[in-house]
Amino acid sequence: MREHEAARDWIRSDETAKQMLSRVLGDRAFLLLPPLHRVPLRAGNVVEITGSSPTAKTQILIQAAIACILPKTWNGVHYGGLEKLVLFLDLDCRFDVMRLSDMLKHRLLEANRIGNGAWWQLEESSGVKNCRGAQDKSKSKSKIVYDEELYVSCMKRFLYLRCYDSLELLSSLKTLHYRIRLQEACGSQVGVLMIDSIGAFHWTDRLSSSLALDKNNRKSLSLTNVVETIVQEMKKLMRVHSLVVIATKATIYEEKYPTNENNRKLSSNNDKAQQPPFREFMPSSWQAFVTHKIFIRKSGDHHQSSGQQSLSAYSLEWLQPQLSSIDRFIVDDSGVVIVS
Amino acid sequence: MAPLKHLEMENPIIDACFRDFCSSHGILTVEDFLIHDLYELAAFAERQVDADRLKEGITVMLSLVEVKCRPWLNGMELLEDLQRNKQTLSSGDNGTDSLLQGGLREGQVTELVGPSSSGKTQFCMQAAASVAEKQEGSVFYIDTGNSFSARRIAQFICGSSAAAVLRKRVLSRISCHTVYDIYTMFDTLQGLEVALRSQMNVNECRLRLLVVDSISSLITPILGGSGSQGRALMVALGYLLKKLAHEHNIAVLVLLKFRGIGCVILLQSSFFLISPSVLKVTNYTVGAGENGKTKPALGETWKSIPHVRLMLSRDNRNNSCTISILKHTSMLSGQTVTRKDNQQCL
Repeated sequence: MREHEAARDWIRSDETAKQMLSRVLGDRAFLLLPPLHRVPLRAGNVVEITGSSPTAKTQILIQAAIACILPKTWNGVHYGGLEKLVLFLDLDCRFDVMRLSDMLKHRLLEANRIGNGAWWQLEESSGVKNCRGAQDKSKSKSKIVYDEELYVSCMKRFLYLRCYDSLELLSSLKTLHYRIRLQEACGSQVGVLMIDSIGAFHWTDRLSSSLALDKNNRKSLSLTNVVETIVQEMKKLMRVHSLVVIATKATIYEEKYPTNENNRKLSSNNDKAQQPPFREFMPSSWQAFVTHKIFIRKSGDHHQSSGQQSLSAYSLEWLQPQLSSIDRFIVDDSGVVIVS
Repeated sequence: MAPLKHLEMENPIIDACFRDFCSSHGILTVEDFLIHDLYELAAFAERQVDADRLKEGITVMLSLVEVKCRPWLNGMELLEDLQRNKQTLSSGDNGTDSLLQGGLREGQVTELVGPSSSGKTQFCMQAAASVAEKQEGSVFYIDTGNSFSARRIAQFICGSSAAAVLRKRVLSRISCHTVYDIYTMFDTLQGLEVALRSQMNVNECRLRLLVVDSISSLITPILGGSGSQGRALMVALGYLLKKLAHEHNIAVLVLLKFRGIGCVILLQSSFFLISPSVLKVTNYTVGAGENGKTKPALGETWKSIPHVRLMLSRDNRNNSCTISILKHTSMLSGQTVTRKDNQQCL
């Protein structure tokens, strides 16, 4: 009898397909992070955003970070965020926390304005938007208030680290697992790992590879070895924690291809082989690791209707998966705004 | 690259047999340790006789690496550090200050680009004078082209009623260093870093501004060719400047000369009439850019180094000078401000 029981237990299913789907979708849900909303991202995806300098790549990262750190709802107002931690590895060392803070405040005010339904008015004093105000409803001009506690809790979900060379980067990646575990013990989950400018140490690593001693049995600190180790450590992290990796990459060679969009469309129709619009310099281990690719370039000026000065517009193109539509966006005070 | 045996004194577990095990896998220094897969190493350790001790050694190494790592800061801590430590320094000119919402920010590298004789060095000296006088901070001025003039700085120290004693005190806060090649530059900056790290709490006259006039004359001689040495040194210099700026709360101001469109200009007679200053090719590295545009003197890689990039252009007809923002971390680019030339400070 016991053998029958054991056999029956072995055949009996662990869960139905419906249960499995709901579990997987819950654990590794699709993320729609604007302005990268054309392709839904799942945990385990690695997105690479390439563009020359300056093309608002860091602005896109900050916008995606805000979408991640906001909660879904708070005090009845819907924010639509993921309420997860963002780990920002700054290899470019140019991050400005004021920009993050301003964009977050804009988002909170925007959501409050829409959520409350009433028509609130932002008080502008000499060009500086004054967001705080007393909740004195007896005044004729009401001032907008955003929740300070919410702002603080969101800012605390943004974790930042800067590395000045590849050795610091490697040591941070090796110890990252333990630090994430410490954070998760406090109840918060990691959603996105952002790397600003993955090619930042490319030249210095290339120099180390040409200077490396060729001893047998010893792995030198060459460019390929360093990038391989980075990819290995990130793969290990992604196996244990469900996170999306978004990395920006600044092109280090000048664009040899025509920058005009019309020219590019014509040439791509003629060529059978899909040539990337920039010269790839990352080693193959990184290229194989990346699952999604985006390319951003400048695309002329955008003239605003309100008569203010024209802002430079950029075009965002998905290279992998290849989408036919190209988004054009501008960057203003509130962040990245898609124009067409 | 410190060899592992230096760690034995403080961590007795890193003894000779641990080091032998490591060297059998090609790990002789801490840096080698970083590029190896630790789980794989632990699996190899499993097969050895003293497996537990070896694995404990690996854990101790990892904890040593972690101690050296910087801590992760959250958004609120970053804001606090910004507000407490990194102030905005006035650049000496009201127009520029209003354009940059305060002036030069400590912790950021600001780059000033412009053609020859557009007033870049004057801007630097005015900023140095302003920081030394009004913010009472010391200035480290690195001069690569013999363009530093103490007399001119003294003119910028405003006020005809400025006493000689005050002038002397302000000028004593500015130290000028002449550097003619990139290796001396590394030497100077690393010496500065050591001095700053070992400095005790000297709150008055702490170093607030570092000026490099001009950085292109140090880097353009080593760039060129397909080798990576030149660009690697340029990137290393850029990161050293960023590290100095952030860790020691200094505003860094670097000057850059850009490549002009020398040959194309000569063909277009209209340009010839309007801007004769462009024909001065002595300081340019002449090269034709794509479609006749100007190319930055240090190439595409340098564009990722500075936080803020400003362009200075001069209009000789109106005797005015325009500053425009090419790139800023938290402001829209393209904004400009124009000011009239003035011999004295504004």
